[in-house]
Amino acid sequence: MSGPAYASSLELAAGVVLVCAVVTLWRRSLSAIVKALALQGFALGAVALILGAAQGNGVLIAVGCLVVLAKALAIPALLGRVVASDPNSRETAPIVNVPASLVAAGALTFLAYGATAPLVALVPTVAGRLVPLGFATLLIGFFVMAARRKAVSQIVGLLLVDNGIALVAFLATAGVPLLVELGASLDVLLAVVVLRVLAVRMTSAFGALDLDQLRELHD
Amino acid sequence: MSNLSLVITATAGCAAAIAGGSLPPKARVLAAVALTWVASAGALVGAVTVLHTGRPLVLSSSRILPLTGTTLVLEPLGAVFVVVTAVVAVAASLYWLGYASHGLSTRTASATLPVFVTSMLLVPASGSVATFLWLWEMMALSSLVLVLVDQREREEARSAAGWYAVMTHVGAAAILFALVMISAHAGGQTFAAIRAHAGHLPGAVRNVAFVLALVGFSSKAGAVPFHVWLPKAHPEAPSPVSALMSGAMVNLGIYGIVLVGDELLGGGPVWWWLTVLALGVVSALFGALQAATSTDLKRLLAYSTADNMGLVLIAVGASGLFASTGHPVIAAIALVSALLLVVNHAAFKGSLFLSAGSVQVATGTRDLDRLGGLMRSMPVTGAVFVVGGLAIAALPPLNGFVGEWLLFQSLLHGLPTSSTAVAVAVPVGVGALALTGGLTAAAFVKAIGVGFLGRPRSEGAATAHEVPHTMQFGAGLLAAACVVLGVGPTVVVPALDRAAVEVVPGAPAHSVLASADVRLSGLQGMLDPALLAAGLAVAIVAVLGFRRLAQCRFRPRLPVRSIEPWGCGRELQTARMQYTATSFAEPLQQVFDDVLRPDRDLNVSHLAESRYYTEKIAYRTSIGDVIEHDVYRPVIRGVHLWGHLGRGLQNGSVHRYLAYGLVALVVIMLVMV
Repeated sequence: MSGPAYASSLELAAGVVLVCAVVTLWRRSLSAIVKALALQGFALGAVALILGAAQGNGVLIAVGCLVVLAKALAIPALLGRVVASDPNSRETAPIVNVPASLVAAGALTFLAYGATAPLVALVPTVAGRLVPLGFATLLIGFFVMAARRKAVSQIVGLLLVDNGIALVAFLATAGVPLLVELGASLDVLLAVVVLRVLAVRMTSAFGALDLDQLRELHD
Repeated sequence: MSNLSLVITATAGCAAAIAGGSLPPKARVLAAVALTWVASAGALVGAVTVLHTGRPLVLSSSRILPLTGTTLVLEPLGAVFVVVTAVVAVAASLYWLGYASHGLSTRTASATLPVFVTSMLLVPASGSVATFLWLWEMMALSSLVLVLVDQREREEARSAAGWYAVMTHVGAAAILFALVMISAHAGGQTFAAIRAHAGHLPGAVRNVAFVLALVGFSSKAGAVPFHVWLPKAHPEAPSPVSALMSGAMVNLGIYGIVLVGDELLGGGPVWWWLTVLALGVVSALFGALQAATSTDLKRLLAYSTADNMGLVLIAVGASGLFASTGHPVIAAIALVSALLLVVNHAAFKGSLFLSAGSVQVATGTRDLDRLGGLMRSMPVTGAVFVVGGLAIAALPPLNGFVGEWLLFQSLLHGLPTSSTAVAVAVPVGVGALALTGGLTAAAFVKAIGVGFLGRPRSEGAATAHEVPHTMQFGAGLLAAACVVLGVGPTVVVPALDRAAVEVVPGAPAHSVLASADVRLSGLQGMLDPALLAAGLAVAIVAVLGFRRLAQCRFRPRLPVRSIEPWGCGRELQTARMQYTATSFAEPLQQVFDDVLRPDRDLNVSHLAESRYYTEKIAYRTSIGDVIEHDVYRPVIRGVHLWGHLGRGLQNGSVHRYLAYGLVALVVIMLVMV
């Protein structure tokens, strides 16, 4: 792939990853949040594919395909079934409301850019310049976990963290070994399966997927 | 070849622990005791060889501990402590044979006691930081288990164990930091490597390491203000364990201070030793005062341990002080006196704790105000306690006297030295020593007079019987050691001299000459304990004979009339009208009211008909520990408060926990920027 096209497509894909993260904060409907996650999975896979194509690295292309399979198709499908099982699948009363969440996301992105400045200076390539996007996604994912009530939102937050880490790994290094990526993806898949089971149990036990119900277990 | 003895000690100790943990009840105590003896005998032979030849025993293996390996190097200084521990261990385990039926025959006790003894035997023989810390920790943990083994259901025992656990582990942490810091800067973890590089360590490292080591080892030695666990753990522990803790374990705190200060760091500035001296003065005075006013027999002995360790610290401090001001001869004499005090203390405190244990077993109490008249029902135990008490009060011809005489000599001969610090510190030390001696004598006059003379003050004391023979022998063995060491200190002084000369750089080969008498080289000072004992015996015989003679000559024999003494015209006196321990200590308590701050409670209830008649007067007094109350309680309250604040952080909300994680991450990133 030639210089400018490579640069702009990579920027686009990485940018979509961050935008999807912000969308999960913006939308209240859980099904929309899961869709945003699926889109993010595609974008993340695209980042890996573009990098692989540019470097002529077959392993990286394989990793990209794997990412699309796991994070854009399998995991969202699993989560979609949880959302479908819950009738009132809306984030009705988040702990931090939507406008404040968006402001926080902006602040976290600023922080990510500030904190990764030394790292960017170390990798003076197009890919290296995009590393802060991965950190921002990670922080926003963490924020989603802390600021949203529904169990599905929590899972999504965890996946955002994982996607952010994966994005940093793709951009800052010459590519993650296939074995490591395979392991990490399977871990996440397993975690999602376990969390899904938990979420279904919670629905049957409390009749809702509100994480605050768990406070009853305290004392 | 001779390092075989260390191998024997280690293997016999392990075998004893295994036997104690696996055999049936009767056999397990016997097997554990026998194997503990083997371990002690092995260590004793090795240590005596080292003291005799002056050549260290070396034993190292890279297989026992991963990464660091184990290194055992037994040098003359350590050998002194090994001998002391071995002798106390033999006596205490003999005592344990008889005591076992009172709660010490459990599997835990039989397995842990040999571990405790073996680790104590090997701590002074360790030759590297890793080995030392490993054995030290083993000693601390096994002794902690033993404090609880007898009566873990009792609240006092558990609280005592808690105090002990915290104090010993804070101390161990300080020692760990100190030794790791020294070895990191010296570039090696064997003591030999550290010694070779000690001179090149930065001053700050040396100072911090010494202060940390001093704190850690003083907490083990029971020096005030780190003594708070002593009066709690010693009384609650089973008596053979108290004897081992007080007779052998606290000594290792002293060993640690000498090891780090003199051996590893090769001496230091004057202020180090002034600090040690001050610690010693405070411990000696505070311990003696608390012992003099205490009414619990074992608590009294525990405080007296703090007092004796204070005396040893005075001697160690004085030795360092003289060495750093350029007087190696007096320094060596002071160190010999410190070691002699350690040896003596092990003998008399061991016998005292063991006989106090016998009293507790026979009467079911250790409250002096409920004892009395035991000399008649328990003559052997009483005699052992009297010998120990006279020895600890430093009366000739017993061993306490020789040690304190040597300490006085070294301090007094140090007076003319030039340094101002020495000129101020030494007289203070001498004064403290004198006051301590007086208070200790008062404490043991009280313990012997109230506990063993007079008439029984309770049912338990009245029906007491002498304890089994093994217990009498165990305690008697150490009492015999008191007499032997008192009449013939020349048996041990040359060995102590060899150890001290190795430690103090530049000291002459024989600082204390001992043949039939003890002579200080280059100084005026000479003591012949055997002659002293003979003279004393002659004097006593002469006085008794003269009295007899006077009675025969000047007074006609009258028929013997038996009446109640001190009756003041009143008949039918009860045992409750005797002088008690509390009333004996009352004048002292008055004088030292500001230091002791006793809790007094006086309740006068009047008759309903008239306020001029009292129905009942209840007087209750108890003396706590001022340092525990003023220093430790606020710290404990602070920790509790901190814990309560910490509770507020947890409300069970998953979101809050996640938010903590996010905030921590953000803060870290901000800091990194």
